[in-house]
Amino acid sequence: MTKEEKSGDLIEKESEHRGDGLHHAPGTFTLTLILLVSFVVYYFANWKALADVWHVR
Amino acid sequence: MTTLDPTVEGALPETEAAGRGNHPPGTFRVCATTGLTVDLAAEKFIKINAVFAVVFLLLGGIAALLLALTRWSAVHLLNAEWYYRMTTFHGLNMLILWILFMEIGILYFAATALLKSRLASVKAGWAGFACMAVGAIMLDAVILAGKADVMMTSYVPLRAHPTFYLAIILVAVGTLIGVINFLATVYIAKRDKTYSGSVPLVVFGAITAAIIAVSTLLHGAGIMIPTFLWSIDVIDHVDPAAYRLVWWGLGHQSQQVNVAAMVSVWYLLGTLTVGAKVLNQGVSRTAFLLYILFINLASAHHLLVDPGVSAGWKIWNTSYAMYLAVLASMIHGYTVPAAVEVALRKQGHTKGLFGWLGAAPWKNPGFSGFFLSLLIFGFIGGITGVTLGTEQINIIAHNTLRIPGHFHATVVGGTSLAFMALAYYVVPLIFRREFPLRWMCRAQPYVFAAGIVLMSLGMSFAGSYGVSRRSWDVEASGALHPVSYDPSVHVWLGVLGIGGSLAFVGLLMFVVPTVLAVFFGKRVEAKMPAW
Repeated sequence: MTKEEKSGDLIEKESEHRGDGLHHAPGTFTLTLILLVSFVVYYFANWKALADVWHVR
Repeated sequence: MTTLDPTVEGALPETEAAGRGNHPPGTFRVCATTGLTVDLAAEKFIKINAVFAVVFLLLGGIAALLLALTRWSAVHLLNAEWYYRMTTFHGLNMLILWILFMEIGILYFAATALLKSRLASVKAGWAGFACMAVGAIMLDAVILAGKADVMMTSYVPLRAHPTFYLAIILVAVGTLIGVINFLATVYIAKRDKTYSGSVPLVVFGAITAAIIAVSTLLHGAGIMIPTFLWSIDVIDHVDPAAYRLVWWGLGHQSQQVNVAAMVSVWYLLGTLTVGAKVLNQGVSRTAFLLYILFINLASAHHLLVDPGVSAGWKIWNTSYAMYLAVLASMIHGYTVPAAVEVALRKQGHTKGLFGWLGAAPWKNPGFSGFFLSLLIFGFIGGITGVTLGTEQINIIAHNTLRIPGHFHATVVGGTSLAFMALAYYVVPLIFRREFPLRWMCRAQPYVFAAGIVLMSLGMSFAGSYGVSRRSWDVEASGALHPVSYDPSVHVWLGVLGIGGSLAFVGLLMFVVPTVLAVFFGKRVEAKMPAW
């Protein structure tokens, strides 16, 4: 944000800003992958815990 | 800050005044820091709602400390009676009062400052605030008097004093008036063409929160009015299963109002702190729309062990509809940090994958609070929430401490921390007061976040061993069937207690500078001092 560009102006012009199309955010993408892996591990650990206490014969 | 009142030194020229929305002369000022137009009537309501919010935050926080020191089995501070009283008090002050007062302030800010509009009705503003304030004071009084030890959920046939239900109805009516006043302000802004194109995304998020709030409050009225009538013996029966079904339309949706408001605050703070721009308007707005359509259905996960609803109903709502609401959070969870990353990379912080993150303004509590809120909400609240909401897995977690372990990460680590971060901008920009003890402000988000994360993990691990979510006595001594847990649960309950105490220190580190700033702070004469 430049000194001349106040946050109020950014918000006001925001609806005209249709996005950059191709944005470059590899760090956020990596964070997203870490979240996904954490979720997969936690989710399947819980299914395992369920299987351990609720036997299907 | 400057003002358009020509009698005040530093008034803006007439030409600039001409371009300021639908404000009559002398009823607004222009913020020198953000360039936003601040309606003076709305400003009063933002201030008074924020002050009340912080008071209830402090009250709920004191109760939280007492509860944490009771669940910590080595301390076990309160007796059973005061434990359940404080649980009721804590839940209502934190989940309802602190959040609702803050949200009404946020709605008034979004509709007036971001749309350059006057407030639709000052009288409605006062009426709504009066209902909320009187209801809130009645609510706390009746709980502390020991006449409403029914927990926040007040499941029938537990029966509180009629004042309890009446107070909740008053708070709900006051909030509804505030929400209608917000929607009316959005309408007059559109009618008077105070902005061009679509409303900004932050306002779109606030409208989402308002729509969900209307649905929430209608559910609240639908169940609290008959329960109030039952409490004064006008009707003789309220069906417990029906109560739970409708109450969660209030109880869960109210938390989704928080989520929509919190996400709006994330977008706002992204812009205020690093100049982030929304990456894709359509995607972010669609995500807000998903909240409106599916979040109420997701409240079914509270009823996953209820016998009154079918397995098909439970699976449809929690294993299909709920994921569409989760999808919305995942979209925001990507677009918000990605917008921050794009903004920081444009400023030259391009080193490696996370150079932008290292270069972010971590000493600015507005940024650190917002980003920590995002991480805690996503990594702890999100992952545990989706897992616990799965119909099959829920059977090993329902009514255990894992549930508060999840929602303290979403509502406290997520919403409360985001609202605290917002306060670091609200006080200098709206109250026009400088924060004293700036070192404390800078450290506060870290201390609070660390406390909440520890507390949440302590709850989650103790709950994984089966410790129940609400029992005063973990060991259930005197029960017909003896209960025994793995001894390690006491370690996790200790972590809960230490985390809760640390979070309370973090809360005080927020409340003390905020109160000092609001009542004794140095006046901000021009631009807000940079964090």
